[in-house]
Amino acid sequence: MDKYILAIESSCDETSVSIIKNGSEEIATVVLSQMDTHANYGGVVPEIASRMHIENITMVLEECLNKANMTMDDIDMIAVTYGPGLIGSLLIGVMTAKTLAYVYNKPLIPVHHIAGHIYANNLVKKMEFPLMALVVSGGHTELVYMSKHYSFEVIGATLDDAVGEAYDKVARVIGLPYPGGPNIDKLAREGKDTYDLPLPLDDSSFNFSFSGLKSAVINLVHNEKQRGNEIRKADLARSFEERVVEILSKKTMAAVRQYKVKNLIVAGGVSANRWLRDRLAELCEENNINLIIPEMKYCTDNAAMIGAAGYFAYEHGKVADLALNAKANDLLS
Amino acid sequence: MKALFVNTATKKLIVSIVVDNEIKYLYNEENNNDLSVNLLLVIDEAFKVSKLKPENLDVIFVTVGPGSFTGVRLGLTVVKIMAWSKQIKVVPISSLELMASSDKDKKEVLALIDARRNYVFAGLYDSELNSIIDDCYILLDDLKEKIDNKDVWCVSDDVFTFAVNKPDYDIIKIINRHKDDVGVNPHELKPNYLKNTEAEEKLKGSR
Repeated sequence: MDKYILAIESSCDETSVSIIKNGSEEIATVVLSQMDTHANYGGVVPEIASRMHIENITMVLEECLNKANMTMDDIDMIAVTYGPGLIGSLLIGVMTAKTLAYVYNKPLIPVHHIAGHIYANNLVKKMEFPLMALVVSGGHTELVYMSKHYSFEVIGATLDDAVGEAYDKVARVIGLPYPGGPNIDKLAREGKDTYDLPLPLDDSSFNFSFSGLKSAVINLVHNEKQRGNEIRKADLARSFEERVVEILSKKTMAAVRQYKVKNLIVAGGVSANRWLRDRLAELCEENNINLIIPEMKYCTDNAAMIGAAGYFAYEHGKVADLALNAKANDLLS
Repeated sequence: MKALFVNTATKKLIVSIVVDNEIKYLYNEENNNDLSVNLLLVIDEAFKVSKLKPENLDVIFVTVGPGSFTGVRLGLTVVKIMAWSKQIKVVPISSLELMASSDKDKKEVLALIDARRNYVFAGLYDSELNSIIDDCYILLDDLKEKIDNKDVWCVSDDVFTFAVNKPDYDIIKIINRHKDDVGVNPHELKPNYLKNTEAEEKLKGSR
């Protein structure tokens, strides 16, 4: 029998509700982004994010049901991102989901945000196992091995800044507006890789580190300014991006080889990065690896991916009760 | 009238079901930082004990602040969703007014919540819960000037350098005072923080 999941995502600065059929078909999604508001502050302000989530949540819910031409009675279960993320933001989604599950007497499914990013791919093409997932976003940089549905083994993660975070900080140093990622990506196309920046944490592990690279950019800008030299912004953006993409793709391909998988998926906001997409596509073709990258609309935070993951979470017995709490930090397992 | 009363804005979590002026269920306990875990469990118990369901309610009364930002959002999210889901009338209430309902001897009641850095959230109410000084975010010294040695009865859950009385909320009094309020659309139900975020203040200052 078909299963319709109503999913809620509010872990950062997007209030999103989606209805997903059988974990693979998107019926309707509404994403209300707060990006324009947070851009005034150069980054997400947690208290403002929480305030906006509570103001908008019922309107987003209603709009999604209207868009799907469905009522809550057509919904079989409720899925929600419980973590990781901004605690105040997560709590709005979690309390919403718990109340809906209670009022309508439906199963409540807790979904890890990263599981959501990975399962965004199932909305594009049915996932095949075993697979390797590279998760890259403003808050996450992880390599996840999956032998089967809803089995996650994090084989590498960032030791400090997430890749998107490094992008935002470097963008600020170069003088580009928030959000940094897309702006660096755009500017880098006009530049050349002329600046001598280190390849960060170039070792045999699957872990990442971006704070050193970020500091190298800050120091370089500082030193050049002291010497009275003008920064070639496009070149610096390009040099930074080359290093990031190089280390991400190098370690990802090493993981693919070591775990002998034929399928690679990329997930998270940074998977929208053109450079990274092109480089991985090239490497996967050379190595005969099946690469799946979600459509742009599934790269950033959205509830559709939570609905896709929620279906498989439920199949694997992940059901929560009314005591479900939000968790700012939580390892994917 | 079947009513649900929810307060998560102050240091006490209050969940009550009142049917025709009779309290069928009352939870009134210190809120121990596990509000997000407990709240729906308590609400579930309230309905079970009262043998009611959310759809049986005529109205939900909920405090909208001022108080703990996160606390007030937890209660409001639950109420907002419940009211939206089952088209239940929802009436927002000031958390300071709730505290002021503690009055037992017909004095003017000054309700205070410590807002740190010598600031308080304050509201002055008469014994009929009419507002005398509107709820505000104010420096304690400025408030003292405003009160101007008036004989007020001070209630607060917080500790100050002067003596305050612990609130003893009178839910029936609050409900009767607001039973004819028209209520708000659940979409428009939101906290009354009485205070901008620090980021907003900083941005304002820099402009």
